[in-house]
Amino acid sequence: MAALESPQPAATATAMRHAFGNVLSVLILVLIGVLAFSIRLFSVIKYESVIHEFDPYFNYRVTQFLSKNGIYEFWNWFDDRTWYPLGRVIGGTVYPGLTLTAGTIWWFLNSLNIPLSVETVCVFTAPVFSAFASWATYLLTQEVKGSGAGLAAAVLLAMVPSYISRSVAGSYDNEAVAIFALIFTFYLYIKTLNTGSLFYATLNALAYFYMVCSWGGYTFIINLIPMHVLLCIVTGRYSPRLYIAYAPLVVLGTLLAALVPVVGFNAVLTSEHFASFLVFIIIHVVALVYYIKGILTPKMFKVAVTLVVSIGMVVCFIVVAILVALVASSPTGGWSGRSLSLLDPTYASKYIPIIASVSEHQPPTWPSYFMDINVLAFLVPAGIIACFSPLSDSSSFVVLYIVMSVYFSGVMVRLMLVLAPAACIMSGIALSQAFDVFTGSIKYQLGRSSNSTDDAEDTNNAPKDDASAGKTDKGEEIVKERSSKKGKKKEREPADKPSVKSKAKKKALVLPLETSIVALLLLIMLGAFYVIHCVWAAAEAYSAPSIVLTSQSRDGLHVFDDFRESYAWLSHNTDVDDKVASWWDYGYQTTAMANRTVIVDNNTWNNTHIATVGTAMSSPEKAAWEIFNSLDVKYVLVVFGGLIGYPSDDINKFLWMVRIGGGVFPHIKEADYLRDGQYRINSEATPTMLNCLMYKLSYYRFVETDGKGYDRVRRTEIGKKHFKLTHFEEVFTSHHWMVRIYKLKPARNRIRGRAKKLKSKTTSAGWSSKSEKKNPWV
Amino acid sequence: MVVQTNLSSRIFFFLIALLFSLADSDSDSDLINELVSLRSSSPDSGVIRLYDDDVSKFLTSVPTPRPYSLIIFFDSVNLHSHSKLQKFRREFGLVSSTFISNNNNDGSNNGTKLFFCEIESTHSEASFHRFNVESLPHISLVSPTTENLTECDQMDGGDFAGLAESMAEFVERLTKLTVGPIQRPPFLSKTQIGIIVALIIISAPVLIKKILKGETLLHDRRIWLTGAVLVYFFSVSGTMFNIIREMPLYVKDDEDQSKFVFFIEGSEMQLGVEGYTVGFLYTVVGLLLAFVTNVLVRVKNLNEQRMSMLLSLVISFWAVRQVVYLDNWKTEYEIYPYWPSSWRH
Repeated sequence: MAALESPQPAATATAMRHAFGNVLSVLILVLIGVLAFSIRLFSVIKYESVIHEFDPYFNYRVTQFLSKNGIYEFWNWFDDRTWYPLGRVIGGTVYPGLTLTAGTIWWFLNSLNIPLSVETVCVFTAPVFSAFASWATYLLTQEVKGSGAGLAAAVLLAMVPSYISRSVAGSYDNEAVAIFALIFTFYLYIKTLNTGSLFYATLNALAYFYMVCSWGGYTFIINLIPMHVLLCIVTGRYSPRLYIAYAPLVVLGTLLAALVPVVGFNAVLTSEHFASFLVFIIIHVVALVYYIKGILTPKMFKVAVTLVVSIGMVVCFIVVAILVALVASSPTGGWSGRSLSLLDPTYASKYIPIIASVSEHQPPTWPSYFMDINVLAFLVPAGIIACFSPLSDSSSFVVLYIVMSVYFSGVMVRLMLVLAPAACIMSGIALSQAFDVFTGSIKYQLGRSSNSTDDAEDTNNAPKDDASAGKTDKGEEIVKERSSKKGKKKEREPADKPSVKSKAKKKALVLPLETSIVALLLLIMLGAFYVIHCVWAAAEAYSAPSIVLTSQSRDGLHVFDDFRESYAWLSHNTDVDDKVASWWDYGYQTTAMANRTVIVDNNTWNNTHIATVGTAMSSPEKAAWEIFNSLDVKYVLVVFGGLIGYPSDDINKFLWMVRIGGGVFPHIKEADYLRDGQYRINSEATPTMLNCLMYKLSYYRFVETDGKGYDRVRRTEIGKKHFKLTHFEEVFTSHHWMVRIYKLKPARNRIRGRAKKLKSKTTSAGWSSKSEKKNPWV
Repeated sequence: MVVQTNLSSRIFFFLIALLFSLADSDSDSDLINELVSLRSSSPDSGVIRLYDDDVSKFLTSVPTPRPYSLIIFFDSVNLHSHSKLQKFRREFGLVSSTFISNNNNDGSNNGTKLFFCEIESTHSEASFHRFNVESLPHISLVSPTTENLTECDQMDGGDFAGLAESMAEFVERLTKLTVGPIQRPPFLSKTQIGIIVALIIISAPVLIKKILKGETLLHDRRIWLTGAVLVYFFSVSGTMFNIIREMPLYVKDDEDQSKFVFFIEGSEMQLGVEGYTVGFLYTVVGLLLAFVTNVLVRVKNLNEQRMSMLLSLVISFWAVRQVVYLDNWKTEYEIYPYWPSSWRH
């Protein structure tokens, strides 16, 4: 791969080779794009072209709204179908990048008279952007280590499982476009750093703007780049190029970021952004020092340096003091909970159950790495070392990128997604270097055995040197051209590289023939294993839309389409303004598919509201009825997997409802639902557990299915089998019992109820005396 | 150990003293005085170490209502490897010292109404049976009116979840005494902070000069390289998982206590040793590859090259196979290739 370019500007033959290499590169890149797109189509082939999971349904709904009503309506959209009775300002609380992108694609295609539905565009946005992301990876890696490494990295990224998991067709979520934006922003930063061009610096700010529009993960960029700048300054690598790469990004980037409504003044007020401002000040101080150094004699400079440094330090101290005061004045220190849990990994599990409850916020174990980046985990250290020989501004950036992202991925499994591109870049560099060395050795040894040794020494030496030297020359040329334009001092980086090159020239860097062949074969095997793993992961592990489930058993394929069945039931059989309560996981789907108003949804912005629903689910029927009634709820939806063994049902999530509910309403205590610290629903379960609404709604009439009430998820018989509902009535249970919908019984006439109450007192056994006293409807 | 023998000899002394003082009808104040002196002689934060005899002396043989409450922490040296127990013990000590400092100086005799004690399982097994302690951590409050020790108030799971603050709340709820805000020793004392700030200020010019000259450790690439690889190693080992979930390095086999279990099945969990082993396997392959491509190519002797390369290849191959094997075992995934259907028979 690395032999695509040739360094010797000798004759037309070389030019031809060069041109051929470029054509080949383009061809390979097109194929990589096709690969990236097509490997993500398993979900469409195996299931159907649907939007997946939870959040994508919200994005889909927003995109629908956008394409129907236009951008201004979208910007001012107040959604009254969710968070009833509060509602939600959608325009000001979403990252609009994804929806605007898909909306634009839809609009563009339609104006070309290609009549695709909004849903189709949404389904295929992620695969298309994966292809873009692979190309961006090529560009980034090429800037760092040449096009050989670039192509290797791009092909690795095209099928890295971690990224596939978030970008299969139908997974219409922010990450789908954000990863492309992330890599492209980094590429433009590196490009600016290598060229010192203001043009790229401006583009960089725009790419950053797109990233801010797309995903909250933009804070990773605005912290990583300042860290790199600081690193360069501290290790004595300051250059005007660094200044051009950084200063415009901070100024323009922050201004642009503040334009996004969901970010707004957070771009200057929250601690996540302070690092960039601090470094902004430092780089100016350093720039001033270098400038003064340039215009003064060494002697004068020594005098001046003391002065400047002390003034600079005073300024820094003042700014730091102001920042500290600002940070200290806000309750969480100005950091959002998610960011804090990155810095202090134990923070979330202690204080914020709503963050800790999400499975993608858990720390990963070692198999997660093997699952998500597979053999790249083996190659990354080699890539890191390759980046250190020689260390340039750009290679130090990718090293910093991998180090930070691998640390963060260790805290939160979700951030494996940010690690994946870094791992691909590193592995691409490592693979490309290894291939260079091994193929170079083989070529040299074969050449030596056929030719006379002395002649071969010089010519066949070339392959190895070609690769590294070719890159260096190219990089060098650009750098020199730019820096001469600016007319500033000599750069360190180009000065480093020739020395390496000349060292390489001295001796043929070769390895024995047989072992090189073996090593090459092993590397190819490793690559093949990666491909097999990725295809398997794409097809089996990450393609399930989770809205339609399938299971393969002896008597063939079973399809569980209960979710859509129930949402369709809701939309056909309930009034348009009815309110449906469920745990927040199903909020987005209910609004998008059933078009009914929900109490809470996956945008968990109001903890109290969620805690109210959690409390209702954890309370006995009567208390729950009162809570729901006060929220105008007509229907309660629960997801139950006990019949078919669907593990992510509400009973398994129930402890989180208790915890979150108990966090706001202290009368809900987790201990009441646990027997000896164990969560049980069988005969050993606590009375509180057996009488709470969630248990009753899940297991109502369950015993009628098999006569025993055997729960296939918990693998036990349920504790309380025969009971009647007093305040709720079952209105719908889906085919496989996965979704059960209950209606709240209407409040009855008070006087009649009082007469009835006395009769029922003896019959209802599991009721606490307190609730019986006031209960008029039994 | 010295402290302990000291303590037991002191207790012996008090027992003798007690024999004489039993004749005294007004023994309540003696008992309190004794507890107070035990408390003041206690080596850490005023927690009194009780033994089987003390339990009968201060609790069972005293007629109710007793003039004091005892709050007892049940400890076990054998379980100190279980880090939570030690943490609870530290927090318990904090509550104790806070209580003493808040109640001893205010003139009222609230300080003598509650004593913090601990009972250690190896020395006082009988007491564990008396209190019917089955699992640790276990904290019991013996109020003045408690007659049957198995029925005393126990701190339940909800109170354990928190730290010293929730223990204090439990104490305040049951005894109606005030513990007051917990006084934690600051992470760094004021003088330490002062010294650090002074050091930074003094060394700042020197450091800046060095940075400008480019002579610091920061300019050494090997340090950055080692750091980067180490961060990588610790991250892929799942160290964060071990820290957040407080996983032990290894566990003992349930059936055979002499056997250690280093690997557990199921991808939701991992043990410390397990993570580091696999993290090492992950890292070593890349390091060997880098060694071959960067260092070995410069070696002149062909045979040396051949041998080291073969060795590296064998190790790498083994490491990859081992990880694949372990992963399949742990996750129970079965990864299979998708061949074209015409290739299948």
